Amino acid sequence: MYIIVVGGGIVGYGIALELQVLPGHEVTIVERDSRRAAELRAELGEMVVHGDGSEVAFLEQIGAARADLLIAVTADDGANLVTCQVAKHRFSVARTISRVNDPRNEELFHLLGVDSTISAAQAVMAQIETTLPEHTVVPLMSLEGSGLKVVDLHLQDGAPADGRPIRDIRLPENALISLVVGADGPTVPDGSTVLHSGDEVIAVIPLDAEEMMRELITGRPVAS
Amino acid sequence: MNVVIMGCGRVGATVAARLSDEGHAVSIVDTDSFAFSRLPKSFQGRCVVGSGNDLRVLEEVGIREADAFIALASGDNRNILASQRAKHVFEVKTVVTRVKDPQRSEIYEELGLRTFSPTTIGADLAHDALFNDAPAGSPNGTPNGAGG
Repeated sequence: MYIIVVGGGIVGYGIALELQVLPGHEVTIVERDSRRAAELRAELGEMVVHGDGSEVAFLEQIGAARADLLIAVTADDGANLVTCQVAKHRFSVARTISRVNDPRNEELFHLLGVDSTISAAQAVMAQIETTLPEHTVVPLMSLEGSGLKVVDLHLQDGAPADGRPIRDIRLPENALISLVVGADGPTVPDGSTVLHSGDEVIAVIPLDAEEMMRELITGRPVAS
Repeated sequence: MNVVIMGCGRVGATVAARLSDEGHAVSIVDTDSFAFSRLPKSFQGRCVVGSGNDLRVLEEVGIREADAFIALASGDNRNILASQRAKHVFEVKTVVTRVKDPQRSEIYEELGLRTFSPTTIGADLAHDALFNDAPAGSPNGTPNGAGG
C-alpha cells in the first residue's frame, strides 16, 4: 500500500514510526516547515518530503494519484480538510483520515466526505465514558465503507432490553449483538441469550442507529 | 441583503463598504481589531473581532439569518473550511470564496462553492496590460495596434 501522511508534528512522527516497521508499505511523510522537515529527514530518511500537503501540484508530485490512503494530521483543521478533499476529488484516493483539532468540526468533515476523523477530545471522552457508571453508548470504531460502527453498550436497569432474550428485542435493522459481558464473563450470544441490567454489550450497528440502541438499553430517548 | 464577510483586509474592507453604501446589512469579522480601521467612516455595518471559523463568532454575527457569506481571509484553507460550513451547516444561500491557488479554486468550484482566484485575475490583468496602450482597467484601452 502507498500511504501519505501530511503533517510531521508529534502525531505525524508517531504514525511514521509505526508505519516504518510495517513491511511492504511505501510511506511518505509531508512536512510544510523546512526546518522540521530536515530534522525528520535526518532521522527517518527519504520518506520525509518538504511541502504543502494542501497544494494540488505538490500532491501530484508525490504521487497522490497512486496513494491508497492519505492521513492528514496537522494542527490546522482547514489544511487537514482541504488535503483530504483534494486527495479524494482530484486524485481519487480510496481512503482519507483526518485529525480534527476542534471536535465541533467532526460532523462537518464527515459530511464533506472525509472517511474517518480522529479527535483527541473524542478519544479521551470515550475513555472517560466507559468508566462512568451511567455511560450508555460509547462508539468504539467505525467500519469504513459499510456504514456500520462498533459500540459499547451498558444495559440499564428497567430498560426495554433488560431481562429479555435477544430474539425478543426489536433491534434496529442490520444491528448485530456480537458479545455480551455479563456477571459470568463474556459470551457470544445467540437468540436465546437473556440480557440483564449491568451487562456490557458490544454491538455492530448502522451509523444512524445509535439513538434507537440507546433507547433499548436505557429506556429513555436521548435528549438532544 | 444580509451579508457576513470573513476577513477585513483591503478587499474585505472595500467590498464591505460598498455593500453597506448600497444599503445591505453587513457584518464583518476579523481576528485583528486593527483591521477594521480600513473601513471608511460611512460604513454602517457591524464589526466583530474573532475567527470566521469560531462557531460562537458566527452565531454572534447571525450566520443563520445571512443571505450571503464571503470568505476573504488570507489563508485559502481557512476560507474553504468556513465557506463549506456556511453552505452545508448554516445553509447560507450564496457563498463566495477567495482561493489564491488556482487549482484549489477550480476544485472547490466543482464542489459547489462560488470561488475566484486573485492569482488568475491578477496574472490576466498584468499580461493584458503589456499589450494595451491605456492604463490597466481603463475602459478605452484597445489592443496595441488594433485600434488604429
